[in-house]
Amino acid sequence: MDFGFSDGERAFADEVRAFLRAHPPEGFPPDGTDAGYGSGAHSHAFTRALGERGWLSLTWPREHGGQERPMGLLLVLLEELAAAGAPFGPLAGCLQVAESIIRNGSETLQREILPQIAAGRATFWQGYSEPGAGSDLLALETRARLERDHWVLDGRKIWSSHAGIATHGTVLARTDPASTRSRGLTMLMVDNRLPGLDVRPIRSLTGQVYHYEVFMDGVRVPRDFVMGRPGEGFGQLLRGLDTDRFWGRFYKAPFLRRILGLLVEHVRAERPDDAVARHRLAHAATEIAALRALFRRAAWLIERGLPATGEVSAAKVMADELGQRVLSLGMELLGPSGVLRAGSRGARLRGEIEHQYQTSWGHTLAGGTSEIQRTTIAVRALGLPAEPRARG
Amino acid sequence: MMDLAFSPAQQLLQQSARAFLQQRCPLERVQEVALDPRGFAADLWKEIAGLGWPGLLISPELGGSGGSVGEALALVEELGRACFPSPFVASAVVATTALGPAGGRRARDLLAALAMGERICTLAVPEESGRLDPEALTLPVAAPGRLTGRKLLVPDAHVATDVIVLGRGAAGPTALLLPMDRAGIGAHALDSMTGDKLFELELTDVAIGPDDLLGAPGGGWALLAPAFRLGALARCAEMAGAAQRILELCVEHARGRVQGGRPIGGYQAVQHACADLYRDVESARWLTWEAEWTLTTGRPDADAAVAAAKAYVAEASLRVARRGHQIMGAIGYCEEHPLHLFHKRILAASLDAGDSTGHLDTVATSLGLPRDRPA
Repeated sequence: MDFGFSDGERAFADEVRAFLRAHPPEGFPPDGTDAGYGSGAHSHAFTRALGERGWLSLTWPREHGGQERPMGLLLVLLEELAAAGAPFGPLAGCLQVAESIIRNGSETLQREILPQIAAGRATFWQGYSEPGAGSDLLALETRARLERDHWVLDGRKIWSSHAGIATHGTVLARTDPASTRSRGLTMLMVDNRLPGLDVRPIRSLTGQVYHYEVFMDGVRVPRDFVMGRPGEGFGQLLRGLDTDRFWGRFYKAPFLRRILGLLVEHVRAERPDDAVARHRLAHAATEIAALRALFRRAAWLIERGLPATGEVSAAKVMADELGQRVLSLGMELLGPSGVLRAGSRGARLRGEIEHQYQTSWGHTLAGGTSEIQRTTIAVRALGLPAEPRARG
Repeated sequence: MMDLAFSPAQQLLQQSARAFLQQRCPLERVQEVALDPRGFAADLWKEIAGLGWPGLLISPELGGSGGSVGEALALVEELGRACFPSPFVASAVVATTALGPAGGRRARDLLAALAMGERICTLAVPEESGRLDPEALTLPVAAPGRLTGRKLLVPDAHVATDVIVLGRGAAGPTALLLPMDRAGIGAHALDSMTGDKLFELELTDVAIGPDDLLGAPGGGWALLAPAFRLGALARCAEMAGAAQRILELCVEHARGRVQGGRPIGGYQAVQHACADLYRDVESARWLTWEAEWTLTTGRPDADAAVAAAKAYVAEASLRVARRGHQIMGAIGYCEEHPLHLFHKRILAASLDAGDSTGHLDTVATSLGLPRDRPA
């Protein structure tokens, strides 16, 4: 068994570190808040810089303008960026949409959108959840009807991350009015500039805007701006779900390792004789190491095309709950000054701990709640019987 | 890209071990050995010797099979799954690892006999404090000389033919290799709740010759530390295997036990408990294998990686055992049900080869938080 990096991966890690020295994160003022998953703040300029290096299309097939480099390099890229605290917020969304377009997208999408993603000029919001469709996504009410060469889209999406600063949304809508539940849904690619789209910010408990609510009133989407075949949107969403969840969380372990490093420095400087703090930090380090091992196991399965549903859901649950524990520990170790925000006099560790403490409470909700993940593990990985659906 | 596949040799060992243990060591047998204060499955030990397991880490020149650490861990994971009662980790992993580099005719002869399954070697290190720590050693050792004192928590002394005794010599921690039938060595059974066979070793004016030294005087801890480190990793594999089996028992129970008209595994409260077991089992297992890779590739952070694994795997596996009792319900509280055997095996393994407090100390130091900081 080999948990190590190949020579190529080590050389690539050096390349990424050199890039980060030339593009220090401080030099990229954020366009959008750091949501705490480990991918840092949202920066258009940093995303474009990644695009210039070809790192947004690293693993794509050559026919789509990619470099066909192995998935191992992508893991290295994400770990290095997260360890440095770089602002690569939109990256996971770009990877997911690109993968979906390459696998299922129309030729028009492949021709028009992929080059924009590769250049770091297109970023995405997800239009899945609705006010009445959260964990029960199939209760969604957004509809699209085909009028000659356009889909006419009506409905309302919510909790869409960075929708106000992204260029496009991937919107799941019911396109067969006679259908119910998982049939008759279609995934549309919606340009944010289209008339009829109204994107409104939702201020979160952090005091910052991360999520948006999106109102769609007769938005006309070109007919071939469809991901996959019309009516098959849900199956397609499910097929990509494991990898989406994986890429949306993989950098959490290196992120938590970075947070742990900050806390270690704080304890060394301000409470060097605190044996309890020392013990608790060591304990957190063991859990972070276990999280990383679990993600690496999932990565290996995904790279080989093997099923990884249980592993990915377990890693997501663990990442998000461990994140809450580590940030809670951080608040305790910083003491009364820990609540002071970045920029305030007396703030510790640049206010990062208080901010990430707050973001951590959204993580066990986003991308499928921890409860949904546990049910997924029980039913799909362990083969326990699904709970019967309520009638009505 | 990393490669997390088991080698063909590991897979062969896993398959043959699982088949053998299913057939020859059912849980009823484990129960029988656990409940007998002087229990030992002598017949099974003989059979596994025939399969070459005790000689897995012994070189071919001495009659062993010269297997890798990874192969030994794959085997121990299966032993954990079966809750196989034996001195395997103490004798075939820890003592064997200490004897190899010690050199000398006595150690080589013993290794040859261990490989054949003719002898079993145990270790006598902790004293009254119970700590696995060179600072805690008080037993005075001189070779030549006479040895008088006590050792606690000595595993399997009722079946061991040889014992490595670590005491305090003039030059520091010093190891001796003694046959258990040497005059003046007595073993008294301790009463442990885990079902492991633990003993007090009473040493009364035992004659020690220069030949009894294992390694150099004062070099005892340096000799044993790598053996305990591998022992800690083996205990991780054993715990991960046992935790995996608890998960299987719980899922089987949750599928079959019907209450309120459907299997209890169809209720979310039970489903989510099973999901937590799965998370703990998978994370414990892969952290163990990552630590194995760190150790066998000689990386500088191997000590910290093994320590982190031992602390995490112990915590996660105990969580599996404790939550498992809740899933299994009242039937799992009965002595005749196997769940407590796995729970107690994990508990014993979690305390062997260094407890979590000691391992977290190693991890803290590796983070840049040493214990004794200059004022």
